[in-house]
Amino acid sequence: MRYVDEYRDAALGRVLAGEIVATVEAGREYKIMEVCGGHTHTIYKYGVDDLLPANVELVHGPGCPVCVIPMGRVDDAIAVAHVPGVIFTCFGDMMRVPGGSGTLLDAKARGADVRMVYSPLDALRIARENPDREVVFFAVGFETTAPSTALTLKRAKAEGTPNFSCFSNHVTIVPPLRALLESPDLRLDGFIGPGHVSTVVGARPFEFIPADYGKPVVISGFEPLDLLQSVYMVLRQLVEGRCEVENQYARVVPADGNPAALAVLEEVFELRPHFEWRGLGFISHSGLKLSEAYAELDAELRFEIPGVRVADPKACQCGEVLKGVIKPWECKVFGTACTPERPIGTCMVSSEGACAAYYNYGRFAREREVV
Amino acid sequence: MSCAGDTHCITCSDEGVPMRVLEVQPDGIARCEADGTESDVMVDLVAPVARGDNVLVHAGVALARLA
Amino acid sequence: MSETTTRESEALALIERVRSRPAKFKDAQITMAHGAGGKATQTLVAGLFLPAFGGAALRELGDAGVVDDLALTTDSFVVKPIRFPGGSIGELAVNGTVNDLAVAGARPLALTLSFVLEEGLSAEDLRAEVEAIAAAASAAGVEIVAGDTKVVERGRCDSMYVTTTGLGRLDPRASLSTGSLKPGDKILVSGPIGEHGTAVMLARGEFELEAPVESDTRSLWPAVDALLDAAGPSLRCLRDATRGGVASALNELAQASAVAMVVREAAVPVRPPVAGACEILGIDPMYVANEGVLVAFVAPEAADDALAALASAPGCEAAAEIGEVKTDPPGMVLVETAFGGRRVMDLLVGDPLPRIC
Repeated sequence: MRYVDEYRDAALGRVLAGEIVATVEAGREYKIMEVCGGHTHTIYKYGVDDLLPANVELVHGPGCPVCVIPMGRVDDAIAVAHVPGVIFTCFGDMMRVPGGSGTLLDAKARGADVRMVYSPLDALRIARENPDREVVFFAVGFETTAPSTALTLKRAKAEGTPNFSCFSNHVTIVPPLRALLESPDLRLDGFIGPGHVSTVVGARPFEFIPADYGKPVVISGFEPLDLLQSVYMVLRQLVEGRCEVENQYARVVPADGNPAALAVLEEVFELRPHFEWRGLGFISHSGLKLSEAYAELDAELRFEIPGVRVADPKACQCGEVLKGVIKPWECKVFGTACTPERPIGTCMVSSEGACAAYYNYGRFAREREVV
Repeated sequence: MSCAGDTHCITCSDEGVPMRVLEVQPDGIARCEADGTESDVMVDLVAPVARGDNVLVHAGVALARLA
Repeated sequence: MSETTTRESEALALIERVRSRPAKFKDAQITMAHGAGGKATQTLVAGLFLPAFGGAALRELGDAGVVDDLALTTDSFVVKPIRFPGGSIGELAVNGTVNDLAVAGARPLALTLSFVLEEGLSAEDLRAEVEAIAAAASAAGVEIVAGDTKVVERGRCDSMYVTTTGLGRLDPRASLSTGSLKPGDKILVSGPIGEHGTAVMLARGEFELEAPVESDTRSLWPAVDALLDAAGPSLRCLRDATRGGVASALNELAQASAVAMVVREAAVPVRPPVAGACEILGIDPMYVANEGVLVAFVAPEAADDALAALASAPGCEAAAEIGEVKTDPPGMVLVETAFGGRRVMDLLVGDPLPRIC
């Protein structure tokens, strides 16, 4: 693809890697967190951290809006899916997240009509094509995905589709970052800011990070060269004593984001007073629910939602992994009780979570040679 | 099982695909393509678009224009 | 070693011990993942089937079972929809069975054919599949020697399910075994990957996506014949990369021979429309099913000749050498990315593309 090939050039990668080595101070450890699951994916897919010196470490953040959904909410979804006549639609990612007693995939195996969609418009189409069935869309994602849900709900309202509703579990990016930064045992030097959330919210919402917490932020694109360059830019800020938000992905991300997207979010959603994040606890004003004007499309009002809170298992140390305090293999249940097939916490549930990514892609340490 | 297992999580990974506009349809939808794969995309948030424009698409919505 | 590295090594060693324990089948019910050809399928086979009725032949876990100099294989086809760009269930049934025999080093001789038909299936649809089967069998040079037909009530099977048994005779040139891979062996792939699974997924019409992708279903016997001719005893093992894709085939063999493998991503042939559609769907083409692609393991001294011979077979013009077998760490498949980094390529966990064959 024209837009991506030049950002995957290996020779340029080696040049950048050389500049990173020249920039860092020997003996000093640097821990940089990439927040966005997409960045984690790129790092593992291309082996970007193989090109970094040993004293620069990338820590994987809570970048999976699907996997931070607490078990109780998944159970709620399963309950709705089992209501007779319901067609329950969701993204593929959502189907494997475990609730208190199984996943949506298990519910499907037990007879619930759970269908994978690629966009909420697919779900609305299913509603139009099946007027005698109630169609529910399980909405998940950060501000990148919320506009898609919002536009679909606007269309549903305008058309007057009576058998469509939305179970919203959208979350926002800033509150969990603030919660992370508030932790006293946080050990991070800088951040790689989310690339596509910023196309919606812009770069300004991240200014609190340098301003209030003194950590540099670089908003990054998703190709391996983007990430290397962004790491380089964070390191330069640290070495030069600067502390600000820089936009490495300016070719896509406008400083002010997308006003039309923000307006439609404002119209269709409102912030919940608080929302529970798997592995991170309750965070205020971090979740979106449908606004008053869209109440008739809200699945939480249309159906009996059990709303039971299921506590995170005690053994789970995801919070510490997310803050960079411990590495995945230092978690007491990593690889034994907690595996990709039977995950306990969000870091293993998400394929972009630190633990799953390490287990699936990175567990062959770069010091070990293949002979 | 991990949320996406062997595929990567389109939502978690905040996937954005550059696509080219083939045909603008009524009601804010445009037929777009990337590497020969075509799909319908909501373009309300980047309007107005024209045939040949490049946009960044996530979950069926164009979020930004590309140069 | 520093304390941190020791702790990491301990954790990794623990994971490998846990992973190498014999699989136990503990699931309470069957899910779609059990049919995907990945970890869940493996657990089912190793944890339930082998302990119950696994003899020496079955435990080889080859694509076909060998009895004296005969090879026997069986397959069920449940693909949905039954017709898709580039093929149909009937064609898949013939080629899929022929290929299981071919990659076991056996010349395909005969097939049996069993239909389970849905009440209400149109005669026109059935006739189309019967003709497709006849054409594919003729092209592959196999005779259909026995069959069976059953009908079930409307809604009990999607149009039709097809089951086959294939019989072949082991070719005297072949000395193939899943446990015979040696460090230094080269890994070849016979053509572009990901075509079939992608074509079927798009044909299902569940997503509003269209792309010019067709199934690659074909008989691989000509390719195997050419490889046996060129490489003979230097040909260690063959595998057709169906469910679970090339990644699964490589992982299974790495485990069977207790060797490591390194794959060079840039060398793996993938056509842009497949790469693009997979990118949009969030799927790695290495895990997508093929119906006309094999992987071959060849001793290094015969690799060049083998590749040239392979590329001369129909549909294999894009054949390529994609990697190498190594000693350590055993059972692991690694990918050298185009960017210069490295990642592990593990066995499939879930079922990204259900009912594609």
